[in-house]
Amino acid sequence: MDTLFLKLTAFTYLIAAGSFFLFLFRGEIFSRLPALLLLLGFLIHLLLLVSRVFQDGFAAVAVTGYALLFYGWLMVGIYLLIQLRYRLTILGGIVAPLAFLVSVSSLALGRGANEIPPGLQSYWLPVHVTLAFLGNAVLALAFGVSSIYLLQERHLKHKKMTALMKRFPPLESLDRLNYILLVWGFPLMTLGIITGSLWAGIHWGNYWSWEPRQISSALAWLLYGALLHARLTAGLRGKKAAILTMFGFCVVLGYFLLGDSLFPGRHGGRFE
Amino acid sequence: MSKDILIVGLNHRSAPIEVRESIAFENSYVRGALVRLREYPTVEEGVILSTCNRVEVVAAARDCETASKEIGAFLGEQRAQRHAESLDRHVYVYQGPDAVRHLFRVAASLDSMVVGEPQILGQLKQYYDAAQQAGTVGAILHRLFHRSFSVAKRVRSETGIGSGAVSVSSIAVDLAKRIFDRFDDKTVMLIGAGKMGDLMARYLQSNGVRSMMVTNRTFDRAVELAEKIHGSPIRFEDFPRYLKLADLVIGCAGSPDVVIDAGTVERVLRERKQKAMFFIDIGDRRNFDPKINDLDNVYLYNMDDLRSVAEDNLQERASEAEKAEAIVQEEVQSFIRWMGSLDRVPMITALRQHFEEIRRREIDKSLGGGLKDLSAQQRAALDDLTTAMINKLLHAPISQLKKNPNDDDEDTTLYVAALKRLFDLEGK
Repeated sequence: MDTLFLKLTAFTYLIAAGSFFLFLFRGEIFSRLPALLLLLGFLIHLLLLVSRVFQDGFAAVAVTGYALLFYGWLMVGIYLLIQLRYRLTILGGIVAPLAFLVSVSSLALGRGANEIPPGLQSYWLPVHVTLAFLGNAVLALAFGVSSIYLLQERHLKHKKMTALMKRFPPLESLDRLNYILLVWGFPLMTLGIITGSLWAGIHWGNYWSWEPRQISSALAWLLYGALLHARLTAGLRGKKAAILTMFGFCVVLGYFLLGDSLFPGRHGGRFE
Repeated sequence: MSKDILIVGLNHRSAPIEVRESIAFENSYVRGALVRLREYPTVEEGVILSTCNRVEVVAAARDCETASKEIGAFLGEQRAQRHAESLDRHVYVYQGPDAVRHLFRVAASLDSMVVGEPQILGQLKQYYDAAQQAGTVGAILHRLFHRSFSVAKRVRSETGIGSGAVSVSSIAVDLAKRIFDRFDDKTVMLIGAGKMGDLMARYLQSNGVRSMMVTNRTFDRAVELAEKIHGSPIRFEDFPRYLKLADLVIGCAGSPDVVIDAGTVERVLRERKQKAMFFIDIGDRRNFDPKINDLDNVYLYNMDDLRSVAEDNLQERASEAEKAEAIVQEEVQSFIRWMGSLDRVPMITALRQHFEEIRRREIDKSLGGGLKDLSAQQRAALDDLTTAMINKLLHAPISQLKKNPNDDDEDTTLYVAALKRLFDLEGK
């Protein structure tokens, strides 16, 4: 049952990803389809998560296979909120394939429940994981928005007009949205780090253990902080801001992709 | 003979502007002209189209050969006496499927001077409405025009024929829309009070720009233009100070020297906290330093850039037009099928008549010859026999014709055409 739901989720995201190509090449007729399909995927995804929480408890979100799934769900949810407000259908073209990848790799990783020692199962864990993931998902979307900005910017600079560019929103909107996402993502990330640190303090006695993910988070946090500061005071915007946003996310992502296997630690599933 | 669709007229390809102008219909005269057109005995229904690129009469006519001559003369009457030269070499005539295709292509803007331009559909509707009010539209043109409107819509939604701006002003606005998400909080600075700048300023205003600054070497000209477009005039030596307020800068100073260099823009950008700027250089000579485009958050397009975008868009449209032609072709066929189905009932009558005539002729011949000794009773029996034979012979084909009374039945149309040919019923 669980696997069926997961497969169904992955499949819906795959179709949603495909529908973005229809939108890109066939235009307005398909402008609503991708977001609706993502919404459908999101709802199936929600059912899956709810059923798992009933079976394994909420704390299970911290285990890799789960965590990924939860993270993907948050990302799609935030995208749908953005879509509702800003009609940024094109961004879904980045979100849908990512959501598909997330659900497929989650399928491959399996459930792996009950790996968390009972001693660690406190309320801090879900709070920390949720906040950290929320912040991270918001910044992932900022990454997407920035990449669209850079594409659009490049085309305008090089004076190459393609039909594809018409599907992209104006630079001003993209830059503003990028800023809004940063304004939301940065505090969430901060809270994620604080709660994680408190939790560590409670369970291991030290708030900061120079663990790889802590280091990469701290680096990314400093980078995003500086970016936000520069945006607010020095009028940093546009291309440079987009590049920095993407770079910041690469720092986060780099750990996600490599960190767990290269530097196994508490975040990598070793709760020694 | 059944009615057919006929188009007689001229367009931007077949006739030069002077000729088109000379026969164009003034809006207020269209109604009267329609009534005169309807007075021709061959013309059953008529619609007049008269735009700057075409003057055409679309008609449902009885005898197309005569009708086309008459409509040609009707168009000729439009001309003042001083035009001695005949219209003939400029006028084209389309009939039947060709006429349907032509109208569908016109509606879909495939026959426009600028392929894909959107105005033509509105004009078509306007002239159709006028004809309807004048009472010169019947079942055929009603259906034809409504089909053409939906073909146009289909082409517009299924192909990219209307996408991509092709005039300099609209391209500039198109580009601006990819940089800025709204215009009502933007400021435009116009450097030079030339015609092009004026045009561009108005176009931007119609897209929502409210705040305009105008500067010119001759201050009076700046004041003059500023008044016309409700902007504020600025002295030429002062404009660099105001540059930081401008989001869009349009240069058409017509001076041979560079008016704004990259260094100035860099300074201005710092002052406006890197807010994006769009420079549009539309003068004959370049007013803006090309290096401006290398700065972040600044975009510079000159006349050549805009023209090359126009070129690309036109090419794009041309390739989309091919898709549109396929749609038109499909729609023409379905319309022709409908037209054909109109012939069905007269065909049945004609077929019966044809057989009845043969029967009469042959009976009369025989009764005058070898059978002249038949009694009245026998004659009646012969009459019944032959009538019954013909009815039996015709039963299958006629019931086949009567079957499937829906418009799109291909077979029926085919049969009607075949019968026409096989029994030589054309013109009966």
